[in-house]
Amino acid sequence: MRKVTRPWWLTAGLGATLLSGLAAPTLEVRLDRDDLHLDGDDLRVSAPAKFQFLSGKPLEKLKDGATLVYLAQLSLSASSEASTPLVRPAVNRFVVSYDVWEEKFSVTSTGVERATVSHLSATAAEGWCLDHLPLLIDGIPHDKALWIKLELRAEDARDQAGVVGDSGINLTRLIEVFSNPARAQQMHWEASAGPLRLEDIKRERRSSRSG
Amino acid sequence: MKCALISLLISGASLWGGNQQPILQPVEFNVNSRYTVEAVELPREAESGISRGLRQDLERLIGQKFNPTAMNDVARRIRDELNVRKVVPRLLRGSSPDHVKIVMDVAGKRVDLSVPRLLYHSSEGLSGSVNGTLIAGDSRFTAGLVSDGDELVERFTGIRTRYENRHLGSDRVRLRFEFDSYHEQWNHSTLSALGQDSQVAGLYRTRQNFEPVVTIQVAKPLTVSFGAGFQRFETEGPGERTQLANAAITDVQYFQQFEGGVFGQQSLQADYSLRVATRALDSDYAYSRHRWELRYTVARGRQSLSEEAVGGFILGPAPLFERFQLGTSSMLRGWNKWELDPLGGSRVVYNSVEYRYGFFEAFYDAGAIWDPGQDMVVRHSLGVGVRKNSFLVATAFPIRGGRASPVFMVGMNY
Repeated sequence: MRKVTRPWWLTAGLGATLLSGLAAPTLEVRLDRDDLHLDGDDLRVSAPAKFQFLSGKPLEKLKDGATLVYLAQLSLSASSEASTPLVRPAVNRFVVSYDVWEEKFSVTSTGVERATVSHLSATAAEGWCLDHLPLLIDGIPHDKALWIKLELRAEDARDQAGVVGDSGINLTRLIEVFSNPARAQQMHWEASAGPLRLEDIKRERRSSRSG
Repeated sequence: MKCALISLLISGASLWGGNQQPILQPVEFNVNSRYTVEAVELPREAESGISRGLRQDLERLIGQKFNPTAMNDVARRIRDELNVRKVVPRLLRGSSPDHVKIVMDVAGKRVDLSVPRLLYHSSEGLSGSVNGTLIAGDSRFTAGLVSDGDELVERFTGIRTRYENRHLGSDRVRLRFEFDSYHEQWNHSTLSALGQDSQVAGLYRTRQNFEPVVTIQVAKPLTVSFGAGFQRFETEGPGERTQLANAAITDVQYFQQFEGGVFGQQSLQADYSLRVATRALDSDYAYSRHRWELRYTVARGRQSLSEEAVGGFILGPAPLFERFQLGTSSMLRGWNKWELDPLGGSRVVYNSVEYRYGFFEAFYDAGAIWDPGQDMVVRHSLGVGVRKNSFLVATAFPIRGGRASPVFMVGMNY
């Protein structure tokens, strides 16, 4: 067996530190049932205070006039380990900018339904994005144990070519993007909940419907 | 104000003109695209370092609706042209409602390894230098190695270190401390000539130079530097001892670029430097060295024509490193400097006309170097070369009766 010497430890430690420093930070939070709600046949995530993606460096960029594009996916599976979703995941693409005069956010959803909203605070903008990510749960037994996963990524230029086409957003390609792990330098956020049953989730009426 | 205003309102020329880039993100998704750009600002240093084309593209942003893709594109081009670590564009409120201004924050490199300078000269041999710079905020620490057989009458080999502060209370004021330490080698022509001329100061084996200098940008094209140079050297031969040549330094530089008109792009550079060594600074030598240089360049398309004139004189006995040279890789090319004057001269006049077309260049040099009591003899040379990016290959011929041996030069960043 190879003896692990001190220099190896030092190299490994230094390498790990460097890699962790180079990688973009990931936010992983745990959702409660209160963070979810049912709206007809749609499952939605309310904007929990702990799931903030308009903060830190992205917020700095927005305030500098940049346009940030986020890709979002909400998926449902039968176990925490299952990689195959029970139903087709809900995906969307959000274009966010910050009005330097009014100091408010503007968001455009470019997914199934194109919609734009402006004059929002950061929290309201985050909430608007999540509200426009309805997951159709038609046919899912309400007493079945489920795991819910919410993923959000800053769009990478390499993904953009496949996702954004002349005819609009390619949703199948967008789902494929989320089948691969986020890139090292890609900002990404994740939230999960489970096991939960649909019958335990509160019902709430909203206007936006899944397509 | 730290940033310089690039331009005011311009006519409604279409955004991007000939440098149109593919738009990856729909402009209308950025809520600020309804605002009009009233100004684009970038640091004064950056402004003077970017190309005319890029400056024009920056100006084209003004008066147009804000376009984040265009803003990012010019930021990337500024970064590429200035070779800096990053350029961060920021959008700020303008001075009037519905107007915004773009501010480009330029972050220089933390470490900058200069491209080595190399020169092979058929009569002087190989010269070269390499520097590394550590950048921390406004401070720069530079260290480098040099072996140069071209610039002075002797070959000097050693280290160069420098500390520079580029913001001494203001962007217009810079402070620089330089310390150099060299070992000298002498050509046999110099050794022979020195024995016959008792008016010229002797040889030295080693030389150290400490030079604190403050530079002030009086106006945009005009800078004035002043400071002191403390040179200490060990003389050669029996009874070797340490000598000092401590001098007050003044340098005035003017640089102006003009654009437009039938002549295209023109630049005028003028420089006057004065070194006064005095006993008051505990110097073993007392002399004054004056040098003028004027360079005018006109460029249009692939062609350019440069005219350079240099003059200088030294009053009083000065060490050999202060004496003027001709017959180097940049002045009176084609002549061998040790044949012209193996000890250098205390008087010099020089003129050069250089024409370039694309890679090709041709030059005609004329100049004279002499000492008081000697006749002033004007010599001429002609040369041709190829210059591509930082590489140069050239050959030059002295114009004289009898056999004329050409000088070959191959250089990188020279």
